[in-house]
Amino acid sequence: MAFITHSYIKKANSKAQKFLQRLCMVAVFTCVSTSVMAEAFTIRSVETSLVDRVYTLSAQVEYKFSDAAIEALENGVPLIVLIQIEVEQERNWWLNKEIAELQQGYLLLYHALTEKYIINNLNSGAQENYDSLHAAVSALGQLEALPILDANLTREGTRYLIRLRTYLDLEALPAPMRPVAYISSQWRLESDWYEWPLQP
Amino acid sequence: MAFTTLKRLFSGAKPIIALIILILASLGMLSDALHGSTNLDTLFTTLLIINVLAIILLVGLIIKNLYALLSSLKHNQSGSRLTARLVLLFAIMSFLPVSVVYYFSLDFLKQGIDSWFSVRVESALDDALELSKASLNIRKRELLRQTKQISTEFNAIPDELTALSINDIRINLGATELILLNSQGIIIASSSDESSKLLPSRLGESIQAYLNQGNDYVDIEPLQDGSRYAIRVAILIPSADPVGEPRIMQSTFNVAERINTLANSVQASYTVYRERVYFRESLKISFVFTLSLVLLLSILMAIWVAFYFAKRLVQPISDLADGTQAVAEGDYQTKLPTSGKDELGFLVKSFNLMTQKIAMVTDEANRSQQQLAEQHAYLEVVLTNLSSGVITLDHDRRVHTCNAAASQILGLKLEPYEGFSLNKLSHEQPQTLLFIDMILSHLDRQDREWQEEMTFFNATGRQVLLCRGSSLPATDQIESNGGYIIVFDDITNLVQAQRNAAWGEVARRLAHEIKNPLTPIQLSAERLRHKYLHTMPAKDAELLDRSTHTIVQQVETLKEMVKAFSDYARMPNIELQPTNLNAVIREVSDLYRNNDFGCTIKLKLDQDAPKIDADDGRLRQLLHNLIKNALEAMHDQDKPELEISTQCMEKEACKFVELRVNDNGSGIPDELMGELFEPYITNKPKGSGLGLAIVKKIIEEHGGMIWAENNEIGGASVVIRLPVNKDQRQSLGIDLQDKAGNSDAAA
Repeated sequence: MAFITHSYIKKANSKAQKFLQRLCMVAVFTCVSTSVMAEAFTIRSVETSLVDRVYTLSAQVEYKFSDAAIEALENGVPLIVLIQIEVEQERNWWLNKEIAELQQGYLLLYHALTEKYIINNLNSGAQENYDSLHAAVSALGQLEALPILDANLTREGTRYLIRLRTYLDLEALPAPMRPVAYISSQWRLESDWYEWPLQP
Repeated sequence: MAFTTLKRLFSGAKPIIALIILILASLGMLSDALHGSTNLDTLFTTLLIINVLAIILLVGLIIKNLYALLSSLKHNQSGSRLTARLVLLFAIMSFLPVSVVYYFSLDFLKQGIDSWFSVRVESALDDALELSKASLNIRKRELLRQTKQISTEFNAIPDELTALSINDIRINLGATELILLNSQGIIIASSSDESSKLLPSRLGESIQAYLNQGNDYVDIEPLQDGSRYAIRVAILIPSADPVGEPRIMQSTFNVAERINTLANSVQASYTVYRERVYFRESLKISFVFTLSLVLLLSILMAIWVAFYFAKRLVQPISDLADGTQAVAEGDYQTKLPTSGKDELGFLVKSFNLMTQKIAMVTDEANRSQQQLAEQHAYLEVVLTNLSSGVITLDHDRRVHTCNAAASQILGLKLEPYEGFSLNKLSHEQPQTLLFIDMILSHLDRQDREWQEEMTFFNATGRQVLLCRGSSLPATDQIESNGGYIIVFDDITNLVQAQRNAAWGEVARRLAHEIKNPLTPIQLSAERLRHKYLHTMPAKDAELLDRSTHTIVQQVETLKEMVKAFSDYARMPNIELQPTNLNAVIREVSDLYRNNDFGCTIKLKLDQDAPKIDADDGRLRQLLHNLIKNALEAMHDQDKPELEISTQCMEKEACKFVELRVNDNGSGIPDELMGELFEPYITNKPKGSGLGLAIVKKIIEEHGGMIWAENNEIGGASVVIRLPVNKDQRQSLGIDLQDKAGNSDAAA
């Protein structure tokens, strides 16, 4: 019998599917999770710099995994943390216009044989091994020089806004855990949107 | 529009089948996803949502159906009870077996999942992991020892020359990568057997810190491809120069392929098992949840399908019930929608055929009834406008119908006697006794058709009726006799007219035949007298004289009589013009003021009486005749008195002048009353019997009426009514007929 796999599948969910999921999540959170935990993930700082006509983003994120998440991790369940970045052009007279969107994914896994915590960058495929969870989580929180936008796409005198948030991808959890994860505050691991102005 | 489309889409069997297939498919995929199917795993949440939505949809549909059912039950609509019963039956039938299966499945499921885990397996896996670790540790220690051993070779080589020998040293060591770094972590020299690897591996900060504390570092780590392992060794090489800085040597070794495979296997198995143990409860919950979902969906689907099929099944029955009720209430146009080719469909078709035939028959009956009503109305109109009186009797000789003319001719209201026997009529209206006796005598004799002329007396006088009777055909088979019809006409006027015409003819012929020989007789008598009177002896001469005188006198009398007859027969055409009746009365009565009878004549004339359309000469003749007649009637009275009065009257919108001549004579004998105005009827020794006949003829020519009556205080009255103008004669004519039979004895 096949069983829950560890492999991360890059999601190709349709927009409708995403919408449905979000709707469901919102509904579930609204109904069930009234005692909201303190913010699990916190974006401490964000800075952007222009290197070779490309804007890069560096950020420091503080990840506080819940006990349930750590227990799952230590029992071999891979966790996927997603960083969602949006660049918007500010408009006074209408809603902001989205000009770039990117998502950075990190897979966090405990390797029982080597007793290592592995962080796998899902975008680049790079893998780092850490002896402790603390080291792994600290390393995960360091986001350095992430290219986000070609400077040619921006115009002088226009204001841009970088929006950033990070969250644990519940959809990446094995299927049997998901119903519980949706309704449990222990699994509501996400940060607020962090907004940062970008001045070309 | 959109609502209608939606309604159309969500009605019928197709959406049900589609929904069931969708739900089954999503349930299948859900189950598959739970089992870890790679493709469906990502769809798990979507499938879950779809199923929950399907449940909500089904619950909504069921609530709607339930509400409709309860509403129809409340309003006691036809078919609702049957639907409710069927739905309940279907629901119970689906619920019970599914619940039993659910209960046992739940049990099996829990036991099945629990049976996957065992303490021994868990312990064995833990041991296998430990064993692997131990095995790798031995290898690690071995490699550390080798690395340490070979590191001494660098002691004699200065930094600048290490690059020349490092590759040889690496190969000698059997490492995949060898890097020499200074204490700051800057690479002095490096060598790798992977030509593709351009950059040497970085020394981690943690490793450097670890080394700086004087420890040797050896560790195994998984490589990026996930299926291989590498052992990394880092040691501090003290400098040969006592003041020189120590160097760091980092070597990386690949784990043998066999070890790799085994380690992977142990790692994978261990992880899977740990995961399973960890998931045990969530897995149970998920499976129970999925199973419950299946149960709920099955039951809800069953209920909905129950609703659907109950409605479909009951619809024709309900239609039939409604249709039957409609037919019972008289609506025969009901046509039910035909449904299928089963027994119900056959029933519906038969019902439609039945209502169609009933409708046809009813239409036919209605048409017949209408025709009957029209015929009835037609007959009614004909009967009403008939001048003949018509009375129909039923087989029990009760008055069934009668027309207006019948009432008019008989001079009484017949309508109240409809439905009553003829005997009751004759009992309450004695004047009809003769008439009814005559009818009954024919009925008793069972004459099928008969005709009889009879004289009928009522309040207005004598009438001659011509009656015809006939039995009617039976209206149904039980009664042998359908009743009788009696038709009668008032032929008084006809008889009168015939008699008048006959008398006129007699008078004309008499006058013609008698008048001719009279003059020769008179001349002959006078000649005889003239020739032989002187020649004869005195005694004979006296006889001759007397005889011829008598002949001449009698011939004169005869001539007058013949003239009177002639006048009666040949009256010139009348010329009507407005005439003052009062003036004519005064003029004529003045001529009789000094009469031989010593009679006083009183006039009581209505000064407001209008002029009437009349022939002046005829009026004078009429008055002469009447006055003369009255005077003669009073010849034996001591104090004869004659009163002539006029009065303007209005009756039934008809304006007329009534002339009344009253005398105080001996009155009219009863035997003369009926024939008073007929020619040659008189009770006077010298009368010709034509006076009143001529009066009547004049009155008739003027469209008036005349009758005679005996006064209570003695004497008789002749009453004449003359219309004021010609147009009113017609309407007075009706009244004329009423009085025509009346008579007077003043002649």
